[in-house]
Amino acid sequence: MSLRKKLTLAVSTVAIAGLAGLAGCTSTAGDAGATAPLKKEDLVFVCSVINTTNPYFAANIEGCEVLGEKLGIPVEIVDAEGSSQVEISKIQAILAKGKKAVVFVNTVASSDAPVIVDSVKQAGGFVTIWWNKPDELNPADIGNNFVAFQKHSGIDSGKCTMNELGKAVGPDAGIIALPGVQDSTTSQTRVAGLKEELATNWPGIELLDTRYSNWDPQLAYQNSKDLIAKYGDQIKGVWTADDGMQIGAMQAFNEAGLLDKVKFVSDGLYPPTIDSILAGEGNNAIVGETFHRGYMASAIGLYTAYLAAIGEINPSELPAEKRDSMFAISCVTPANMEEFLKWDDDVAGWVDTLIANGPWDTAPVPLVAGGPEKIDPKYAQ
Amino acid sequence: MMTTTLSPEQSSGVNEKLIQTASRRSLLKSLTEPLSLLGALVVLIVIFSILNPRFASLENLQNLLNQASLPLIIGIGATFVILIGSIDLSVEGVMAATGVTFVLMSANSRGGADLGIWAWLVPLALGVVLGLASGLLYTKARIPSFLVTLGMWFVGLGIATVLYGTDAYPELSNDALTVWAATITAGLPNVFWVALILMIIAALALRYTRFGRATLAIGNNEDIARSSGMPVTKHKIVIFIIAGALSGLAGILAVMQMGGTSNNIGDGYLFITIPAVVIGGTALSGGKGGMLRTLLGIMLLMVLKNGLILAGVSPNFEDMVSGAILVVAIIAVAWSQRGRLRIEK
Repeated sequence: MSLRKKLTLAVSTVAIAGLAGLAGCTSTAGDAGATAPLKKEDLVFVCSVINTTNPYFAANIEGCEVLGEKLGIPVEIVDAEGSSQVEISKIQAILAKGKKAVVFVNTVASSDAPVIVDSVKQAGGFVTIWWNKPDELNPADIGNNFVAFQKHSGIDSGKCTMNELGKAVGPDAGIIALPGVQDSTTSQTRVAGLKEELATNWPGIELLDTRYSNWDPQLAYQNSKDLIAKYGDQIKGVWTADDGMQIGAMQAFNEAGLLDKVKFVSDGLYPPTIDSILAGEGNNAIVGETFHRGYMASAIGLYTAYLAAIGEINPSELPAEKRDSMFAISCVTPANMEEFLKWDDDVAGWVDTLIANGPWDTAPVPLVAGGPEKIDPKYAQ
Repeated sequence: MMTTTLSPEQSSGVNEKLIQTASRRSLLKSLTEPLSLLGALVVLIVIFSILNPRFASLENLQNLLNQASLPLIIGIGATFVILIGSIDLSVEGVMAATGVTFVLMSANSRGGADLGIWAWLVPLALGVVLGLASGLLYTKARIPSFLVTLGMWFVGLGIATVLYGTDAYPELSNDALTVWAATITAGLPNVFWVALILMIIAALALRYTRFGRATLAIGNNEDIARSSGMPVTKHKIVIFIIAGALSGLAGILAVMQMGGTSNNIGDGYLFITIPAVVIGGTALSGGKGGMLRTLLGIMLLMVLKNGLILAGVSPNFEDMVSGAILVVAIIAVAWSQRGRLRIEK
């Protein structure tokens, strides 16, 4: 995290803590942040994503739009264009329009969360943050307007994919890892899962090198080319923190004539990955993935905030794991992939099930644990 | 205080001597600058080869040249622009716009018609149009090139975002395009051959044509160039068009390398290319520099990045070590020119 981000985070957290304290001083104990239920017709859904071209974020938008359609609530999309500043200013502009906002945010950086939460709270809206927030920013400390923080376990993702890679390359192989952005908690937890799985079940596998590839296929391609030059055919497996980087890595190994000799695992099961698995590309090069979907994350997040807005749930009365939540993630192999793809064929049907079952009990992504997700220092990057 | 007055003849003789001395110094500098940069490059290559013998392998050389190809192509345009005392920041936006246009007009995984030669011509024309727009706004509206091209960067990104939409990541269906980009011909990657040929043409044009001499003259002193009847405005516009077209070509080649694209295909190229041009010795103030220097500057950065990975430097320290080595290399290269550099505020 840059110094500027750290300062922003520190100032924002202190400011919010101060506001929360003030609220506590002026309210009766126990109802800090409680508000009267809002009318459905006064609501607008706000769906904030990091960009609109990444398949995962595009799916985030799809989930918001389908839920908005089902509930008859207009949806405003915020394209952060990869910038925290753009993200925050666009959200604040929508909040200023006057309608009560029910907000889902896939934050660009952890440090954005306190500022966004504060803005939504001041405007009387309700927000659920997905994937990234500072550990010290706890929804229960802020009040009902910060309904929940939600994510899938990065550690489980890393363990799941590393296990599949171990099975494919054998117990004594060399592998390389391409994480995302170095200060991304999502990337950090996935790397921690990879290292824990290596230490626990695959001690003979050597992690030859780790190169941050910033979620960027082009950088993953270049880093892979450098690592191929360095290690040659010592590399038997490639672990990437998401499928976008896997596309770049596979391209580099393909150019080196090694694609059919190396196995790949990653997170996300993006459409090009599905195509590659179905086609058996590179002698069935992809051996492991995880299943979780952008439309599921956004619909769960938005629906949780919506229930709080209309008074169906009172966040302050929810158990801790429903304020800081981790949802299930599934390990996918070429053998069982088909059973997961059915969800993508009927997004509207899945959203219907979500509305019927509630945000914490909908397959294949039920609530499984409370956060925050802690990285064992032994496995930190 | 005593003063000495020189006769006109004496004064003329002194001036002649000064000009001759300055000319000799200038010639010496023009030779020693690229040589010292080449020396720094050789030192880095030797060190990295000792640290890991694989660094000097043919496979890694091909890898290095492959990675240097796109920065070289973009660097040609950037060098021309910097030589006239301007800057072009639109590189990444132009690459995004042309890359997305190229993939969507080619046979791709989203379906749609393969438009054949138009899949090449339209994105290249888009690069030309974006370059023309930058050139016109810079010269006619007199907006600083820094601001115009910054805006054009986002115009390009905007075009790419709109064209890309929210459908799935588009991949080229025709494997031949991807295979061509990765193919080695006569020991070198095809993409590098393209970069090398363009670099040679640009170097010859800069050295031996009126266009090249006019570029240097405008960068040296635009007022004098204008008063001597040179079509300065037209020349500047042409240079921005060349830069736009080359960024456009780089966008297409990047898509061919990757086999597909999103709208971030150009990410990171600007901040490889501009520093490389300047590290090579082309002055940001214009009028001094050349293509060979850009070639050396880009190779220096590429060798550094690749060498640190092969040397096993931890990624946590890579940026710091890379920056420190670069500073040392630049000081070593520029030490003899510190007198001249001092006036570049």
